[in-house]
Amino acid sequence: MKRRTIAGLVGAMLGAAVAAAPAHAQDVKIGLMAAISGPIAALAPPMAAASKLAVTHVNEQGGILKGGKLEAVLGDSACNPQNATDAATKAVNIDRVLAIVGPACSGAVLATANSVAIPAGVLMITPSGTSPEITKLKDKDLVYRTLPSDDYQGRALARTLKARGITKVAVAYLNNDYGKGLAESFKAEFEANGGTIAGYSGHEEGKASYRSELAALARGGADTLIIFDYGDGTGLSLLRQALENNFFKTFVGADGMKSEGLVKAIGAANLGGFFVSAPVGEASASLDNFNKAYKAAGENIDAVFATTSYDAAFLAALAIEKAGGDKAKLAESLRAVAMAPGEPIMAGEWAKAKKLIAEGKDIDYKGAGGDHEFDAAGDVPGSYAFFKVSGPGYESIADMK
Amino acid sequence: MDLLGLANYAVFMGILIGIYALLALGLNIQWGFTGLFNAGIAGFFAVGAYASAILTSLPASGRLGGYELPLVVGWLAAMAAAAAIAWPIGKICLRFRSDYLAIATIGIAEIIRLVIRTEGWLTGGVRGVTGVPRPFGDLDYMPSQIAYLAIVATLVLVAYLLVERQVKSPWGRMMRAIRDNELAAAAMGKQVEARRLQAFVFGSALMGLAGALFVHFNRSITPEAIDPMIATFLIWIMLILGGSGNNRGAILGAAVIWIIWSVSELLTDRLPTEIAVQAKYARVFIIGLTLQLVLRFRPEGILPERQAGSPPHR
Amino acid sequence: MSLLDFLNFHLVPGIVLGSIYAVGAIGITLVFGILRFSHFAHGDMATLGAFIALALVTAGMGPWSALPIAMAAVAVIAIGVDKLFYDYLKARPKIVTVMASLGVALMLRAVVQVVFGVDPRTYASGIVRPDDYFGILLRDRELYTLAAVVAIVIGLALFLRHSRWGKAMRAMSDNPDLARLSGVDNRKVTMLTWAIVGALCAASGFMLGINNELHSMMGWQVLLPMFAAAILGGVGRVEGAVLGGLIVGIAEELSIFMLPAQYKAATAFALLLLILLVRPRGLLNGKVL
Repeated sequence: MKRRTIAGLVGAMLGAAVAAAPAHAQDVKIGLMAAISGPIAALAPPMAAASKLAVTHVNEQGGILKGGKLEAVLGDSACNPQNATDAATKAVNIDRVLAIVGPACSGAVLATANSVAIPAGVLMITPSGTSPEITKLKDKDLVYRTLPSDDYQGRALARTLKARGITKVAVAYLNNDYGKGLAESFKAEFEANGGTIAGYSGHEEGKASYRSELAALARGGADTLIIFDYGDGTGLSLLRQALENNFFKTFVGADGMKSEGLVKAIGAANLGGFFVSAPVGEASASLDNFNKAYKAAGENIDAVFATTSYDAAFLAALAIEKAGGDKAKLAESLRAVAMAPGEPIMAGEWAKAKKLIAEGKDIDYKGAGGDHEFDAAGDVPGSYAFFKVSGPGYESIADMK
Repeated sequence: MDLLGLANYAVFMGILIGIYALLALGLNIQWGFTGLFNAGIAGFFAVGAYASAILTSLPASGRLGGYELPLVVGWLAAMAAAAAIAWPIGKICLRFRSDYLAIATIGIAEIIRLVIRTEGWLTGGVRGVTGVPRPFGDLDYMPSQIAYLAIVATLVLVAYLLVERQVKSPWGRMMRAIRDNELAAAAMGKQVEARRLQAFVFGSALMGLAGALFVHFNRSITPEAIDPMIATFLIWIMLILGGSGNNRGAILGAAVIWIIWSVSELLTDRLPTEIAVQAKYARVFIIGLTLQLVLRFRPEGILPERQAGSPPHR
Repeated sequence: MSLLDFLNFHLVPGIVLGSIYAVGAIGITLVFGILRFSHFAHGDMATLGAFIALALVTAGMGPWSALPIAMAAVAVIAIGVDKLFYDYLKARPKIVTVMASLGVALMLRAVVQVVFGVDPRTYASGIVRPDDYFGILLRDRELYTLAAVVAIVIGLALFLRHSRWGKAMRAMSDNPDLARLSGVDNRKVTMLTWAIVGALCAASGFMLGINNELHSMMGWQVLLPMFAAAILGGVGRVEGAVLGGLIVGIAEELSIFMLPAQYKAATAFALLLLILLVRPRGLLNGKVL
C-alpha cells in the first residue's frame, strides 16, 4: 500500500513537471547550471542573474532563430558531480537544451562534460571553471570557458606585481581548484622572475580564526599578502583579520576577491592597500554596456564571474543563431561567432548580431569579460586589469600584461 | 512529451540509484544487521573511488598514476582499499557506543576528505583525477548509459544475493543475535568483536565498490564529490525510509529518496528565478522533514525487517 | 617569534575560540547527561540564534542588547523542537533520536538559508583594531565574549548546585527513574533543559558571529569541535565542557606549528579520537553512557 502511494506521488510529480514543457516549436532552451547550494552558494545568484540578462537581451531584440523565445532552464549543480550530472541530464533530456552555461565548479564541469554534454553533443560553456584539467578533456570540441584557466591569471598577476616593484610576498590560498591553481601558477612565475615567496600556505574554508596562519605568514617578513580566495567567503575573514591585527600593509587578490560585499563589510576607508585583478574585455565599451544593463537590473556590477556568465550565455545564443538551431553545427558556429575576423559585436547588441548573421556576414563577439578568442582546446587567454577600491566598488588603475 | 528523453533520464537515474543502492546495502550490513552507526560513509566511498581512479587512469604530472590497469582490477582494488581502511578504523572505534561511533566516523570521513584535498602527490589534491576509463564509453549517449546501467544493475543484484544469503545463514542469525543482545551472545561464546569487525569491513567494501562505479561513470573524481550531505546523510535517510535490516528496503529507499531528490528539482525549475533559488535550499528542508515523518509514522521503514520471532530490542 | 607574538596571535585567539566552543559544549554535555543522546542539531541551532540576533541588529538594536532576546527566542524554539520532533521518540532507542536531530539540523539550516540567504553577513561593518593592554592585544568584543562566558559558566554552576530545579536536573542526569520516584517531574526538567540548551546555543552562535562573520554553515562547522570538547572534558560535567572547549580551541590555533594549515579542522577530531581511546570518561571523569 505504501509503495503504491509513493509510486503514485512520484508519477504525479514527474507528469506535472514534464507536462509543463513549452509548446512553441521555435523556442530554444539553454541550461544554466549554477552552484546554488554548496560551498560557493553566495556567488551563484549574481551569476545566474547575469546569464538571464543575456537571455533577456536576446528576447527583447528579436528573439532566437525565427522569432522564437530563448528560455533559460535553471539547475542546481551544488558544486558536486552527483547533483551537477543529475541537473544536466534533466536539462538535456527533458528540456532538450541545446547548450549549457556552467557548471560553476571544475569538478562538476568534468563530470558533467564526461557523462552528459559530450555524449549528448550539447555545447558547454563554463563561466567559472578554472582547473587546467578541463583543458585536457577529450571533448569533441564541445567544452569551452569564458574565463582563462588559473594558469594565466596567476602568471599575469605575478608579472604585474614585479612590474610595480613588489619583490617579496606571502601567499594565502583557499584549498580548492580555484585558489590552489592560482597560487601554483603565481608562485612559479613570481619566482621565475626573481621574486621571493616569504610564506605560502593553504587553508580550508569555514574556520573561525585564521590569525595563527596569518601570523605564521607574516613571520616571513613580507609586506604584501596575496589572497587567492573568495571575497564573499573565507577571503573576507582573512582580509579582516589581517587588517585588524596589522599583519601586512598591502593586499592583493584575484577576481574571486573582487566583491562589493567585501567593501561593504570592511569599509572602503580601510581598504586603501587592497588591490584585485580581474579579467576584462579589450573593448571597454562592451563592459560598459554590460555594467549599465546589469545595474539597471538591480544587480551589483562587481559581482564575481558576472561578466563571464553573461558572455557564456550570450555566446551560446549567438552560436545557436549561427547554427540555425542545428546541434551538430554548434561547435563550429561558436568558434565562428567568437573569433576574429568579423564585425565586432558588443555585449547587448543582439539585434545587430542577428541581422549580420542573417546576411551571412562574419561576426566577432567582444565580451564583457574578455574577447574570447578560443584556442584549440576551448580555452581563452584573457586580458586583465588591476583594480583598486573606489567608493563602494572598484576602479581600474592599470592593464595587466 | 519527449518519451525518448524521459527514458534516457530514467536510465541515468537508474545508474545513480544503483550506486546509492550499493551504498545503502553496505550501510545495511553495518547498521541494519549489526547495529553500527557508521556516519562516515563518504570516507569509504572516497577511498574506493580514488583507489580505482588512480589505478586505471592515464598518467598525469605531479601525482601517482598512469598505471592504466584494467577495470576489473580497479574495482577489486576499490573494494580492497575500502576494506583495508575499514579494518583499523573498526578495530579502534567499534568498541564505542553507537553515537560516539557516529561522531568518530564523521571525524574520520572528514580527515580522509582533508587528506584527499591536501596530498596532491597521491590524489591530485583539489584538481582530482581525470582520464579515468569508462566501460562502453565510446557508444552513443543512450546506448552507453544503458550499458552502464546493465553493469551497475548486475553488480547490485550480485551484492544483494550475496548479502541475502549471508543474512539468512547462521552467520546472519549470529549477527542479529549480537546486535540485539550483546551480553547474551558473548555469554554463549560468540566472538562479538570479531564478528562486528567483519560486518564493518564487508559493508565498507561495498561502499568502496560504489565509489568505483561512480568514478568510472564520470571519468573523473574530485574532492567535491565527497560532500557529507550527498555522500553520507542522504544514504542514511534512504536506509531509514526503505527499512533498515531489510536489503530490499535498502534498495527501495535508495530509489525513492533519489527520485524525490531529483524530481523535486524539476518542479522548482518552473518557478521564477528568485524563488527558484530559494527553492533549491528548500530541497534540504524537504529531506530533513521526510526523515522526521518516517521516524514518526513509519519508523521501521517501508519494508520492515523480516522477523523470525519477537521484535528486536536494542 | 616573541612571547607577545605567541600570546597575541596564537594563545588569545585560541582562548576566545575555546570559550565559544565551551559555551556550545556545555549545551551538548547537558543534553548528553540529562537527555542521554548526541544532539546533532546543536550547531544549526546556534546558527539560528546568531541570525535571529542579526535580524534584531538590522532592525536597529545594538548587538549585545540583541543577545538576551535571541537567547530567549532560541530557548522557546528549542522547547518547540523537542515537543515536535524528539518527544514521541522517547520510548525508542536513543539512536533514533540522534537521527531525528540530524533531520532537525538540516531543516534549521534550510530555514536560515531561505530567510537570510547564503551570503556572509556581519553584525557591524568595518574593522576593529585591538586595544593594547600591556602588550596583550584584545578587542572589546573579545573581552565581552570572555566575560559573557565566565558569567554563563558561574551562573549555570550556581544554578545546578543550589537551586531546586538545578538539583532536579542533576538528579535526572544521575538516574531518571529514581528522580521520578523522588518527585521530580521529568517532563518539566526536560523542558527546562531545552530552554537552557537553546539559550546557550544562541549565545555561542552570537559570539561566533560577532568575532567573525555569520554564514549559514557556521554552526555545522563548529559542531564537531564542540562535541570533541564535551567528550574530552567528560560527558555530563559542565566544568568538563569548559575545560574541553578551551583545550580544543587552543589546540586548533596551535596546530599550525605542527601541521599544514589545511589540517586545522582535523585537530579537534584527533583530540576526540585520542580521548576516546585513552580515557573515555574524559578528563574530569564524566559518565560513560
